[in-house]
Amino acid sequence: MSAVATRSHNRVLSVVKLHFTNPWTTITFPWIVMLTIIALTVLVWMLVLANIPDPADRAGAREGFGYSGSSGFIFVYMIVVAVQSINTMFPFAQGYGVTRRNFALGTAAYFVILSVFYSVGLTILSIIEDATGGWGVGGSLFSVAYFGETPAQRLFVFFAILILFFFAGSAIAAVYVRWKGIGITTFFIAFGFLLVGAGALATLVEGWDEIGAWFAAAGLLGSFAWSFVISALAAIGGYAVLRRATPKN
Amino acid sequence: MTAVVEVSGLTRTFGSLAAVNDATFRVEQNQIYGLLGRNGAGKTTLMQLLTGQQFASAGSIRVFGENPVENAAVLQSTCFIKESQKYPDDFQPRHVFKSAAWFFPNWDADFAAQLAIEFRVPLKRKMKKLSRGQVSAVGVIVGLASRAPLTFFDEPYLGLDAVARQLFYDRLLEDFAEHPRSIILSTHLIDEVSNLLEHVLVIDEGRIIIDAPADDLRGSATNVVGSATAVDAFVGSRPVLHRDGIGGLASVTIGALTPTERAAARTAGLELSPVSLQQLIIRTTTEKETEQSA
Repeated sequence: MSAVATRSHNRVLSVVKLHFTNPWTTITFPWIVMLTIIALTVLVWMLVLANIPDPADRAGAREGFGYSGSSGFIFVYMIVVAVQSINTMFPFAQGYGVTRRNFALGTAAYFVILSVFYSVGLTILSIIEDATGGWGVGGSLFSVAYFGETPAQRLFVFFAILILFFFAGSAIAAVYVRWKGIGITTFFIAFGFLLVGAGALATLVEGWDEIGAWFAAAGLLGSFAWSFVISALAAIGGYAVLRRATPKN
Repeated sequence: MTAVVEVSGLTRTFGSLAAVNDATFRVEQNQIYGLLGRNGAGKTTLMQLLTGQQFASAGSIRVFGENPVENAAVLQSTCFIKESQKYPDDFQPRHVFKSAAWFFPNWDADFAAQLAIEFRVPLKRKMKKLSRGQVSAVGVIVGLASRAPLTFFDEPYLGLDAVARQLFYDRLLEDFAEHPRSIILSTHLIDEVSNLLEHVLVIDEGRIIIDAPADDLRGSATNVVGSATAVDAFVGSRPVLHRDGIGGLASVTIGALTPTERAAARTAGLELSPVSLQQLIIRTTTEKETEQSA
């Protein structure tokens, strides 16, 4: 019909761009915090070493440097990014006349782009960490054993964690957007029962050993590969919830 | 005439509440419509239904001839910034205007920039930190500069001062003259916008109770003022929209009068005055309560 605007935009691409409109929150700020964390942690390590005169004791301290969880900041921060990208961006995009489908596709693309961006960034940091002998003090922020042994493995693990956190966070945010507080409460109660129930079941049938054996057999990479199944379910579930959601005040 | 919106038997219920109740109307292309009604009358729900944000419980909606729900072709020709529009937490007005260009095919960035200066919108301050009026101004600017073939303004002037409201009305009319489009303006500041409106839809408790050209409405009621006896004698059995009385004086609102009737009223010593759109709508939408309390 002639009244309908003739110049057509790729609405999915527009949604991706919309998420990147203000790069401060999702790009600049997290890296500033991450680099600050690295600087402060290394500084603390240096202080610790400076105060241990005996070389034998120093070796013991260095062992403790191998398990820093500071890099986890990025993962937790990205859950918040995921929640906000639904909670405030969805009502906003609806005002711009974006369909729920195009919003979901654009947002999923945005999550994948951010996951690639951050997993590559974290992997580069882990390579620097290895090359500098643990920032000169033998510390580990990024090349920690549970992220994998080689840069390629770490890239895969970082990516899997980020994808999982983005899609799980956005699915929960979708529940909030559609059913507000009551929906979130119901969801977490149900989820809690599910976890406790699964735990009880595993205990009753004495299945913990088998579960442990399953993870051992799958290995680190195999276990993380399975996380994509959970991520995919969260993505599908989140879209199903959003499809009938109306932005509320 | 071409209809951009055709709604028939449209109902949206929330539990036992019918926010929109069996609404049937058309919106003609390139006209300015006023969607008027009290708070909670169903204005926002109706506009959300027309833009596919809400889902109908019953009835049909055609926007540009198609169902708007999840219809990208239709929705990219609409712009609906709600009065309570949420903006992303880290957005500043410049981010809003920058991103709007990606979604509205007719977006005019120069016009938006000019409006931002005129409305004194600070471009580099977080939306959260803007005053109520500044947030409203951002919505107004998006609505105007989007030049969407079907544009909704939902209580656009909340917190806007008189100068800014006048600026909005002026720019709306100027831009409408150059770029005709269909505009639906929801408001309860009826008298202020009454000269802008070409067609009026009044919604009350979910029902469309008035659907008429604004000019017809303006002439559709008359106030008759005079001594109570003379007024009563003149009004006779005509339907009364509203009645006020102080002592021996009465002021009664009735329907349109013919020139002969007007002459007769003057002979009877009665004063006739036009009823403003606002008064007319107040009388129509409070009629029920008055009857119930009587």
